[in-house]
Amino acid sequence: MIRLVRAEWTKLFTTKVWIGLLLGACVLVGGFAALLTGFAGNADSGIPPVGTEGFEEIALAQATNATVLALILGIIGMTQEYRHRTATPTFLAEPRRWRVVVAKIIAYALAAVPFALVALAVNVLVVSVYAGARGAAPSLTGHNLEVLSSSGLALVIYALIGVGIGALLRNQVGAIVGGLVYLFVVEPVIRSIPATSGAYKWMPGGALEAMTATFQGPDLLGAWEGGLLLVGYGLLAALLGTLLAVRRDVV
Amino acid sequence: MGGPGALGWGEPPDATTLFDDPIRRRGVPIPTASTALGSKTAGSGRLEVRGLSKSFGSVQAVSDLSFTVEPGSVTGFLGPNGAGKTTTLRMVLGLMHPDAGTATFDGTPYAHLPAPLRTVGAVLETAFHPARSGRNHLRVYCRAAGFPLSRADEVLVQVGLAEAGKRRAGGYSLGMRQRLALATALLGDPAVLVLDEPANGLDPEGIQWLRGFLRHLAHDQGRTILVSSHLLSEVEQTVDRVVIVGAGRLVREGSMEQLRSGADGAGTVLVRSPEIARLAEVLTSGGSSVSQADGALTVTGSTPAEVGHRAFTAGIELHELRPHTSGLEEIYFQLTSGREQFAAPPAGTPVAPEATR
Repeated sequence: MIRLVRAEWTKLFTTKVWIGLLLGACVLVGGFAALLTGFAGNADSGIPPVGTEGFEEIALAQATNATVLALILGIIGMTQEYRHRTATPTFLAEPRRWRVVVAKIIAYALAAVPFALVALAVNVLVVSVYAGARGAAPSLTGHNLEVLSSSGLALVIYALIGVGIGALLRNQVGAIVGGLVYLFVVEPVIRSIPATSGAYKWMPGGALEAMTATFQGPDLLGAWEGGLLLVGYGLLAALLGTLLAVRRDVV
Repeated sequence: MGGPGALGWGEPPDATTLFDDPIRRRGVPIPTASTALGSKTAGSGRLEVRGLSKSFGSVQAVSDLSFTVEPGSVTGFLGPNGAGKTTTLRMVLGLMHPDAGTATFDGTPYAHLPAPLRTVGAVLETAFHPARSGRNHLRVYCRAAGFPLSRADEVLVQVGLAEAGKRRAGGYSLGMRQRLALATALLGDPAVLVLDEPANGLDPEGIQWLRGFLRHLAHDQGRTILVSSHLLSEVEQTVDRVVIVGAGRLVREGSMEQLRSGADGAGTVLVRSPEIARLAEVLTSGGSSVSQADGALTVTGSTPAEVGHRAFTAGIELHELRPHTSGLEEIYFQLTSGREQFAAPPAGTPVAPEATR
């Protein structure tokens, strides 16, 4: 299994996809962190002023904006095998296909750790410098540290979900577009409609929100429950994807 | 198979000379018996296909197909496009699940081989990530199979791609892609090689090289080689045995000699005469089928002795009489022509895409 995991890392780091995604994550996280800090305390924005606990909780959870990129990382990791037809040599090297999918899940979950650490570092750096300039840099202790670690964990879990979705859908463009539409259209709609908002806390987005506990949230699960639910979604997608990968013909 | 120590992994003894040898760099076959993977025992690697069947929806791609590929020989797997060659090879390699039947390597199905890449190398299609270099592509599979990364450079030299190895595979020519696919198959120094249309995209020089390479791998190194093609002339000079399929069924299996000899009813006789029209009449009345081209008659279903005897009794002067060592192509058309199920559908007929794969 360690051989297959290392093969996945070789695949990942011999193309430039990861550089693009990492840079994208830095820009996204840094940008949101800067915007948030810039509008903190502004009466119209509703963002608590710099130095308050409420502000720090939001500002240090901005790495979660990169979840979409972690998801894409996982999706590309799996679907590139089908897009470029390398599934053939991959499954020739390891005919027990479930092991390939498990290796990908391990490889991408582990690769997402430094990815998450960089995103967190950018977040902390931007908020510390900008908020520091505006009066009070958040301390990296206690609750703030919890917020950061759960944000980072969310990134790792989303990469895992991405691998599962990729194994399930196989079509790279379809999986990415589907993932984006779900995250930015379907879930926000469900979240905002009163009749369905009760279900939101059981959905991946609701679980993510529960983990990172941003302000004015709807009814949510506890942080740990949310994290477990999110892991559950990732494993479910991966399990279904594995079953399909094993059964489908590789053409 | 022991641990890495037992296999003698590490730098090959001639690693320093390997890249400086101009002959090797040009891709002339080199023995692989002393590669970083250690020596191998030749002579094993019998592929047995028994009763394979596969359908895609209503299209029966492969029907009850059985054949054997013997070690140490090059076997041509021939048939027109859509005959089910690729589907068969994908089932043999565990990539597709057959509806019925088995395919085994020395008795073991591909999916249960303990070290599949060390047993079987496959060239199925030119599948690479375009942004990854050829060398890195090979390294991925070195990692996956637990081979030393130096194997990637060794096989690149073997197929004559040493200089292009560091360029992105997306920029490779078709011929270079075929060579890279072949290099991938050779990574594990396998006893069996399965190649699906490996000459596609190769220039005449490349095809010449491939022929020599395959013969060398089979005859000098005792590997089992199964090579599919729809262009019969392409493999005619390479193969020792043929398995001919049409519409997913076995049409003929045997050695080239068997196939070429008239015993199979596939032999033809070429005869020239100044009285060609009368000769044709005599032969036709004798029950042979005859075709005329360039002032010569091609007689089917007969032998030179028989044709000579008929001409002599009829008093016809002959200028040339010889068994037409008919090309495989002719034999192939004889075997499959007039049998509608083997014919390609007329242009415009929709064909299920899977059936042609």
